[in-house]
Order: sequence, then structure tokens, then C-alpha cells
Amino acid sequence: MRDQHRAAWLLCVIAALFAGRSAAADTPLHERIDRAIEAGRDGRLAAPATDGEFVRRVHLDLTGMIPTATEARAFLDDPSPYKREKLIDRLLDSPEFARRMQVVFDVMLMERRPATHVPATEWEGFLLDAFSENRPLDQVAREILSADGADPAHRGPARFALDREGDPNLMTRDVGRLFLGRDMQCAQCHDHVLYDDYKQAHYYGLFAFFNRSYLVQDAKGIATLGEKAEGDVTFKSVFKKKITNTTGPRVLYAEPVAEPAVAKGQEYWVAPAEKVRAVPRYSRRAQLAKSVVSAKVPEFNRNLANRLWAIMMGRGIVHPLDLHTAENPPSHPELLEMLARELAAMGFDGRKFLRELALTRTYARSSEPPPGLSPEDGSPARFAVAVLKPLSPEQFSWSVMQATGIVAATRAAVERTLFTVDPKLTQLMQLDDKRRRFGRRLVESAVYDGLKGNSGPFIAQFGRAAGQSQDAQDASVHQALFLSNGQPVLSWLDGLAGRLATIADASAMVDELYLSVLTRRPMPDEREEAIKYLAAKPSAKAQAVHELAWALLTSTEFRFNH
Amino acid sequence: MRCDYSCRSDDHVLSRRGFLGGLAGLGLASGFGSFVNPSAAAAMAKGQKQMLVIWLAGGSSQLETWDPKPKTETGGPFRAIDTSVPGIQICELLPQTARHMHRMALVRGVNTHENDHGKGQYLMHTGRAQAPGAEFPHLGSLAARFLAKGTEPLPGYIHITPGGGGVGGKEAAYLGPKYGALYLGNGAPPANTARAGSTTPASDASRHDLRRHMNDRFANRRRTAETEAYTTTYEQALQLMERREVFDVTREPAREQERYGSHDFGRHCLLARRLLESDATFVQVTHSNYDTHNENFAFHLEQLGEFDQGFSTLLDDLAQRGRLDSTLVVVMSEFGRTPTINYLYGRDHWGTAWSIALAGCGIKGGTVVGKTNAKGTEVVDRQVGAGHLFHTYLKAVGLDPKDDYEVDGRSVQIADPTASPITELLA
Amino acid sequence: MNLADPTKIHLAKDLVHTRPLVSCRFDARGRFVFAGSEDCTVQRWDLATGARVALTAHESWVHALASSPDGETILTGGCDGRLIWWPATAAAPTPIRTIEAHRGWVNAIAVNKEGTLVATCGNDRMVRLWSMADGSLIQELPGHPKVVYQVAFEAGGRYLVSADINGLIIQWDVLVRKEARRLDAAKLSKYDAGQGVDYGGVRDMAFSADGSLLACSGLIEASNPLGAVSNPAMVLIDWKAGKELRLQRPKEDIKGVAWGVRSHPDGFFVAVSGGTTGGVLLFFKPDQINEFFKFAMPNTGRGLDLHPDGVRLATAHHDGHVRIWAMKAKPTA
Repeated sequence: MRDQHRAAWLLCVIAALFAGRSAAADTPLHERIDRAIEAGRDGRLAAPATDGEFVRRVHLDLTGMIPTATEARAFLDDPSPYKREKLIDRLLDSPEFARRMQVVFDVMLMERRPATHVPATEWEGFLLDAFSENRPLDQVAREILSADGADPAHRGPARFALDREGDPNLMTRDVGRLFLGRDMQCAQCHDHVLYDDYKQAHYYGLFAFFNRSYLVQDAKGIATLGEKAEGDVTFKSVFKKKITNTTGPRVLYAEPVAEPAVAKGQEYWVAPAEKVRAVPRYSRRAQLAKSVVSAKVPEFNRNLANRLWAIMMGRGIVHPLDLHTAENPPSHPELLEMLARELAAMGFDGRKFLRELALTRTYARSSEPPPGLSPEDGSPARFAVAVLKPLSPEQFSWSVMQATGIVAATRAAVERTLFTVDPKLTQLMQLDDKRRRFGRRLVESAVYDGLKGNSGPFIAQFGRAAGQSQDAQDASVHQALFLSNGQPVLSWLDGLAGRLATIADASAMVDELYLSVLTRRPMPDEREEAIKYLAAKPSAKAQAVHELAWALLTSTEFRFNH
Repeated sequence: MRCDYSCRSDDHVLSRRGFLGGLAGLGLASGFGSFVNPSAAAAMAKGQKQMLVIWLAGGSSQLETWDPKPKTETGGPFRAIDTSVPGIQICELLPQTARHMHRMALVRGVNTHENDHGKGQYLMHTGRAQAPGAEFPHLGSLAARFLAKGTEPLPGYIHITPGGGGVGGKEAAYLGPKYGALYLGNGAPPANTARAGSTTPASDASRHDLRRHMNDRFANRRRTAETEAYTTTYEQALQLMERREVFDVTREPAREQERYGSHDFGRHCLLARRLLESDATFVQVTHSNYDTHNENFAFHLEQLGEFDQGFSTLLDDLAQRGRLDSTLVVVMSEFGRTPTINYLYGRDHWGTAWSIALAGCGIKGGTVVGKTNAKGTEVVDRQVGAGHLFHTYLKAVGLDPKDDYEVDGRSVQIADPTASPITELLA
Repeated sequence: MNLADPTKIHLAKDLVHTRPLVSCRFDARGRFVFAGSEDCTVQRWDLATGARVALTAHESWVHALASSPDGETILTGGCDGRLIWWPATAAAPTPIRTIEAHRGWVNAIAVNKEGTLVATCGNDRMVRLWSMADGSLIQELPGHPKVVYQVAFEAGGRYLVSADINGLIIQWDVLVRKEARRLDAAKLSKYDAGQGVDYGGVRDMAFSADGSLLACSGLIEASNPLGAVSNPAMVLIDWKAGKELRLQRPKEDIKGVAWGVRSHPDGFFVAVSGGTTGGVLLFFKPDQINEFFKFAMPNTGRGLDLHPDGVRLATAHHDGHVRIWAMKAKPTA
């Protein structure tokens, strides 16, 4: 037991609460974040990221792919001092942002589990709509946690529970991990031996929301969650087998849910039967959403703020993301408390919150440590140097498609079909902002649907196994083989090389190549080397361009969001 | 601390805190599989150990293999034969394997309490019962992580199957897909190991030079475990492509191919030998299928005929070439088969009293541990479960099954904390 | 006037052993029925008295049974590879002669009509000819690449046929002791690539009374060999032409294997099917694809023989019974 640990942390939290209150009024959140990160650093911080690094980073984080060469060039050549803020706002307003969030939250919440009972498209549609309309994230969480699949029109959010087969242990583990930031799996059999604040009672308190529920399939095979009116949760520690504990539904340290007495014989609206979804008068599971997403459960806000932070910054203030415990304290406790509080204060507006993060100096720092920075000062948990983030499988595949021009070509084809074929529609789409926005969503959806299948092999190669946390990534020889000899990438590169090879001026061509793939112009020596490389293979220009492009695409610089 | 059976208390916690500190100091990103366990690292330095698992898919019958009960109600029509170790008899369907008994150990008291294919496979591959929300790595993934040096050209966990090939991932659980199985479907070489037709060797070499050059520039001050891991995979890919012929058994002389048999399992055993000789860390060969609910005896005759030839030849070669001492060989299934013979001449799923066989590295040859009763319906001596077997495999190759390792900042014991090794088997 | 009326079939005698049975055979004079059991014995019942005697010398199960034409000698072939001569009628039979006939199982035995030659086949892929008189090996007949399931002498006695798991039938000229031709019943066999197993083959053979047809029994539609999913079937071969005449199969979906087939002097064939559907007797006329009559038995069938009287059938069952069926009207009490 490390009381001193916890005491120190609590002190920090209390101090932060008071400090936060005085500063909150007029200083913008992003500035307060930077102050918290920079406090005590004495300038031991990485330099600001270059425009090239920034435009690539923010596109990847907010739209899920690198920008086109055209977008990159426009940004680099924009002399405006406000161009970064403008870019952030433009991206946050784009349909690609909602799509990116759909993918991030799908992967976070479903962890690549196969869609068995709810089609992936329904779940993704639910997420896309939520982020398109910027629905408050607490509401989204409540919708997911309360969905049982019974309403045929809104089965999307029920995928969270149904594709976990409604399994009470799995639900306990994953609601704990993903909504409360606590992987209490190891507290199933006894109080956690490493984390004093992971109690067996916490595990079973959460478990009690699920223990009466079960997956039921009707005559057509449609799965929903049914629930029995009885079933109490008792547990024993494997170390103290003589003591049997009982618990009702309860979220961590919050008050236990007060349970009504139900008269005998009155237990059910719909009684259990084969292939019938039982509905009790009093449902434990129905208490879950309001019990977890509650002002009385600070762990919910902290977890959500920490996860949003990690999307942008590459790691959590608490890291791993599902290991919130006194034994694994936040790197910046006061900052985490502030973020949790502000997220709630802004009504769980995810877009607004991410905007503040994107506006920070912390986010816009270079990933290159300044010369002489000590390993301690450069540690990722300091956020003094930007964290190198390996591209997720989706970011990687979409960025490869963007770099090789596949996305642009598809978009052009979509726009052609949508708008050229019917000039009236084009005019209609330009009438006002709302219609323009709708038009952009239409195009984005068509492009996404047309190309998403291409992500499959990338997910297979770069993703983690279904049901495993996808927060971390791994490098394997098969990935390198796939990128070296696999057909999709090589033929896309052929397309890119073919197009670039038509640019007569070697220097301009190398510029275009670097902007397309690495979102920056080449350094003078890089340009020179590339021109020399091409000159050495005059008879096979496209081949030489292909080789150059492949090298850029497989470089570390491309593999990471840097 | 309170707990004394699994987590070995204070030093465990201390090492964990040390680990977290160390992680921060090293600037390593979590989840990139950088293992920092000192004793595992020491074990690795001791010299390369390898593993070969022969997986008899569907559940082979212990009565037709390692624990015959001839002339009993449950024994079936096959007889028992003598082996190279006086006093140990096995089923007559394994005459060639019987010659190797002095190199082998039999565990005849396996009770896994599991009669489901999927759960039995999981249990025997991970040494732990399947539970919702918890996934543990396969033996092959652990070998890939803890036995391999990480510099071998061949992937750490290679699984030769009669079915489809490809890259797994789930096998590694939280170790990450790098340690997942590479399936060689019907022995075919892994995907993308041949240069695309459009890429000449010269062009390949020069694009890789360009790539390395790019990386040097980028990594100047940004070199991390992650960037290193990524760039290393390309060098491994090149090595693997260069050694692609290792997957081609037709390069063996006809006489060699004949010795292993003109069936898939024989070819796959020969491939396993080539892979082990190329320093593959862990090779699994699946022989399918033994799920003989119908005509158990006719099907075992056919399958074990192939097994006996391929397996015994492989043991011969490993022994003669001096590899057996450093290669642990395990023959196992998801479960055994019922002593009761059903009305279809079949035997059904049976995890209650069955056998597995071991040989090689760290194993005391000519050993039989565990005993079933006369009809084979119950274990009467030295009952063991999958956890005990798992501990034994790890111990045999010099890994401490009680060691903890760190994954994504968490501490996990390599093998099921409630089990222990079968020491009688260990040399 | 026909000897038998299969449609009137009824249980004439129920003979019971304590352990599952795998095979059955009448002696040539029809006084006894013999059955191999999973307890490694061969049980003999006196059909008149029902008295039961065990023949105990095999170390394993006995699938192969044959009688000498005079009914005085019974030959048994075991999964121990042994071929044993027994006095068929002795009160307590003991082996007259034991030879190691095959490596692995003896799958079938046939005796020529003169009673001079014994043919056996086994899991060692071999067909062997033995002298009935002294048990000496006359000829070894290699040629089958896989397990050989069945042997039968053709009516004239000059030819022997042997059939294997892949449905390959080899016709041997007994006079010159050489292969004469090959016949094909491969429809009864399949290699299941998913399960990696051969399945099916010719489980039994019977020549028609006039010698013009060879019926081969087995299975088709084996969609899941390890799970016992298949239908019983027969390949009927025109002996003269050496070609398949037709594939015969039950009208309805019966899951099982046709373990045995016998030809009846009245011109029909009777097959026994055993499997997940249970035991079924199927009666086929040579010119029809489907059976003209079928009869469900109380337990899965494993072996079949026709009594010399042409009226009675014996079936061996997993429940330890040998059931004697009479193909005629039940006598009124």
C-alpha cells in the first residue's frame, strides 16, 4: 500500500481545483493547457513543428489521412499568421472529421470484433451521425450504454453489447476499460494485487448491472438483450474463501443504485421464454447509462478527457488509457482534472474540446528533441516533444491512397457523376451553406464507401487481433513484405509514377513527389539526390520515379505521424 | 502484500514500478513489445532453443496412440506393441515412433475437463482456460517473443497447416501481431515473399538504398524503439525473400522426400525440418483430422500411418543432426477421445483422461508420467492439466514459467499461476 | 414360385450377446450363425436350440468370417492379422490351424466353391490365396495401393475379385494367379481434402445367382466422413462388360453405410445399412435405381448374411444381437 503516493496525488488534484478556478475565467483553455505542460520546463521543450509537419499532423489527426499535394502547397504558401487556426477550423467542419471520429471510436469501442449481431454499417452510421451533428459525447455514451437492440430503427449503438454477446464479464471489463479507464479484469477473482484501488467489489458492482442480462435471438435470429428480474451477485476472494460478499449495481465509489422492491408475481412486463426477450419491471441494466455517465462518477469524465487527449497527443496523461489507478498516476494530474472539468463544462462538445487541444503549442511542437535534451526531459510523458504516432491501419491505408492519388481520382469521379451529370443538382447544392455542407457529405460518403475496402489488407497486416486493445501497434516482417511486394501498393505507385513522369522539369517533379507523399518540399540536398537518381535512369523514368516514391512511402517519416 | 499464490508479492510490485520508471527513462513507447524482463533476457542468451509442435487436429485418440488398452471393453481392435524402452508399450499403429521411445516421454494422466474443440484448442495452446475478456498468447507466440533473438530471418511462430495460409494475429493476444502465427497453407511459402514481376533485383536493391537513406535523415534525432522496429522489418523481409527456397521441400533429394512419405503430412514434416535447420524458433505442424466420431479405427489407421512415418523420420533427422537436444518436441491435440466406442465405431470428445507425448530438449527420455485405469476411463495417478503441461514446456526450453513480463504497462505471469511443471519429465 | 417374400419379413429369432457385434455368417449348411464381437470373441449360436458358444483365440475383433462349402470348417480373420480354421460344429471349438495372414487387420475371407482355396485381404493392401487343406500360402496378389476391404470368388470359380477403400476392384485369374482386369466402383469412395481422409470404398460384394452381376455395397454423398454423414449405396456392375450398370440408392434420405450385401436366388439383392438413421434392410431389383422394399430394424446394422434356405437373413448389431429374419409370412399361431 502506498498511501504517500495517493496522498501526493490528491494534494495535486486539490491544488489544481483551486488554481483552475481562478484562472479559468478569461484565459482560453488551450493556453491553460500549455501553461500546465510548460510549467517547470524552463524552456526544455522542442521547437514548434514546421508548417509541413503541422499540416500533415493535423490532417491525420482530424481527417484520418494526409493532405493532397495541392492542399499542402496551398497551406505552405499561405502567408497568413492565422493559417493554422483557419486550417483547424476548416478540418473540424469537414465531413472527413466526422468520418475520422467514426473510425477512431469504432476501433476504440469495438476493438475490431467481428460484426455478428449488428451490421457494422448500422453501428458506423450511428457514430457518423453523432459526430456529424456533434452530439454531446456524454449523450453518445449514454446511448451506447443503454442500447439493447430492441428498437429496430436504432440497433447501431447496441453493437457494443450485442457483439460482445452480452457477456456480463466481458461487458464489465470493457465498460470498465473504455468508459471508466479501469481494466479491472484482474479484480474478478480478488482485490487487485498491484492496484490497491482496483477492488473486487468494484468489479462486481459493475458486473451487477449486467448479471441478469443475456443475449436472446428471436425466431428470425435477431439478437437483443433480454433481462431477468432476479439474480444477485455474490463473490468471494480466492484468498478469503470463507467470506461471501454481496453487491447490487454500483459504479466504483459512487453510492449503490437504490433498487425498488417489486411485488411477487409482478416482476415482468414480458416474462422469459424461449426466443423471447424478457423485460423486467425493474431493469438493472437500464440503470447503467445514468449511473456511469454521472456527475457523481468523476472517472467517466477523466477517462473521456484522457482518451480525447491521446487521440491528439499520441498518449494519455494517464497511460495506458485503461490503467487509471493511484499506482499509475497521471503525468499531469492537475491538467487531467482541468480537462475533465472543462469537457463537462463545455457540455461534452467533442469538437470544441479537440479544437482547444489542436490550438495548443503542445500539440504543435516538433517531434524532434532539441540537441542536448536529456532522456528524462524528452520522455513522452512530459509532452515536451511531440510523440511519434504510428499511423493507424486506417490512417496508413488512406494516406497511401491519398499519396498515390487514388483518393483524388475517386473524388473527381464521384463529383463528376454527382454534379456534371445533373447541372441542376450542382446549382441546388450551391444555394446555401446547409446545402453545400450536405453536398460535401455526399461526396465524402461516396469516396469513403468506394475506397474503404482497400483498408482491409492494411487492417489485417497492421491491426491488432480482434478484442485486443488497438491503442498500441506492432511492426512485423509481413507488413514490410506486404508493402514491398504486395499488389495494391505497387500498382497504386505505378499510377503515381506514371502521372509524375509526365512532368518534364525534374525539379518540379521531385517537388510534386515530396508534397504528394511527405507533405513537404524536399530539402535542397534531397532534391539534388533525387534529380541525380532520375538522371541515372533516363530510359526508365517512370520506373525510377516509382522507386523514389516507394522509398518515400516506406520511409519512417511516412509511417509515423511526426 | 496479500497475495501469495500468483503474483509473488513485493518484489513483483517493485519490479513493476522499476519497470514503469525504466520505461519512461528509456523513452520507449508502450506496446511495441520491448521486453525488459531480466531473467527472460538471461535465458535467451543461453543458446538458441527451438520448439516443434505436432498438432493432431480434431482430437487424436489416446487409446490408438500413447495409452493403448488392448483386449478391454474400451480398447478397440488395435494391439499394443513394444517400444525401444522395455515395459513401455504404445499402439501398434505407431511402429516407427516406437523406436524413439527412449527419446520420448508420455504423459498419460492428462485431464483438461474440456470437450469443446475451440476451448480445447485454446486451452492446449495457451495453457489457460478460455474466459471472456481474457486472451492469452499461444505457446508459439511466447516462443517467438522469449526464445527468439529477434534477428532471425524467419518469423518466430510458423504454423504449417493443411488449410489456408496467411498471417494470424490472435494467437499472440496482447503480445502483438509480430508474435502471431505465420500460417503456411499446405506448406506454401508466405505471401509477398517473391519479388513482384515488375521489380528487378537491381531495382529492389536501389529502392531499399533510397529508403535507408531517407530513414537515416529522419531518425537522426528521432530514433525510437518504434522507428527501429519498423526499419528492421524491411531488413528481415529482404532476408526472408533471399531464403525463400527454405519453404520449398522439392529442393530436397527425392530419397529424402520418400523417407517422409508421399502425403501432405510427410511433406510438412520435411518442411518443418528445413525450417528448424534454418533456425526457426517455433514450428507447428498440424495434421488433420482426428475428430473421428465415425469409424475411429479406420481413420486412425489412415492418419496415424502418415503421422508415424513423417514424425518418426523427423525425429530421426533431428536426433542424427544433433538438433533434438535443443529442440522441444510436443505431440498434442485439443483433447483425447472417449474410451467408449459408439455405435458408429467412433469415439467422441474426451478431455477427462488422455495423453500427450514429448521429446527432445529438456525432456527425460523413456519416461511415462501418469496413469489411467484399466479401461482408460479415469486418471488414477499423477493427474495433470493443460497448465502443468504448459509450465513443463517452458521449463524444458529454459524459460521460467513463473516469470512476469510487461505488456502495455501491465504485469502478467507467463504461465497459469495455479499450475506448476511436471518435474518428473524434466531432464 | 419365389422362395422368399421380403415384404413379409419378420423377426424369427433374436440371439443376444453382451457386447457389440461387428460381423455375422451362417455356416454353409445353415445350422449355426457365427458373429464377431468387440470383445474379441466369435459367438456361435445353434439356430435350432439357440445354444451359444464362444470361439476364443483371436487377440482382436473379427470382421472376417467364412464357411467351407461343406459347412464343417469355419474360418475367422481378425484385426490381429490372424486367420484361424475352426471345426464349425464342435461342442467347444478350438483352433485347427492359425496362421499370420496379414500385417494388420484381415478384412475379408472368401472360399471357392470347391472348398480348396481361401482368399483373404487386409489392411496391409494385400490379397493372399491360401490352401484350404493345409493353410499354406499359394499366392500373394499385390496391386491395391490402399486398404483392401473385400474379396469374393466369381460363380465359375476361375476369378477372384478384390475391392479396396478407393473403390478399385481387381479381378484376378486364379488359374494363372495374375491380374485379369480392373473394375471401377470409385463412386463409393471419396477423398475429403478438408478432413484429410479417404472414406468409403467397397464394403461388401455379391455376385448375382446367374453370375451376370456384381453388386458392390458402400456409401455415397459423404459430406462429412468423420461425422458419419453419408448415404448407403450400391454400384451394380455388368460382369461381362466390366462396366457399371447402375448406381442404386434408397429412395429416401437414409444416413449410413451399406456394410453388407447378399444376392438372392430370386434375383434381388439385399443390403444392410447402418449409421445415424439406424439399421435398415434394403431390397433392390437389378433393373431399378431405388429399393422395392425397405425394412427398419431396431438397431444399427453392421453385418449381413443370407441363410442357405433362401428365406432367412442374419444381421449383426451394435446392441449385441444377432437377429434372424424370415422373409415369408409369419406363421399364424
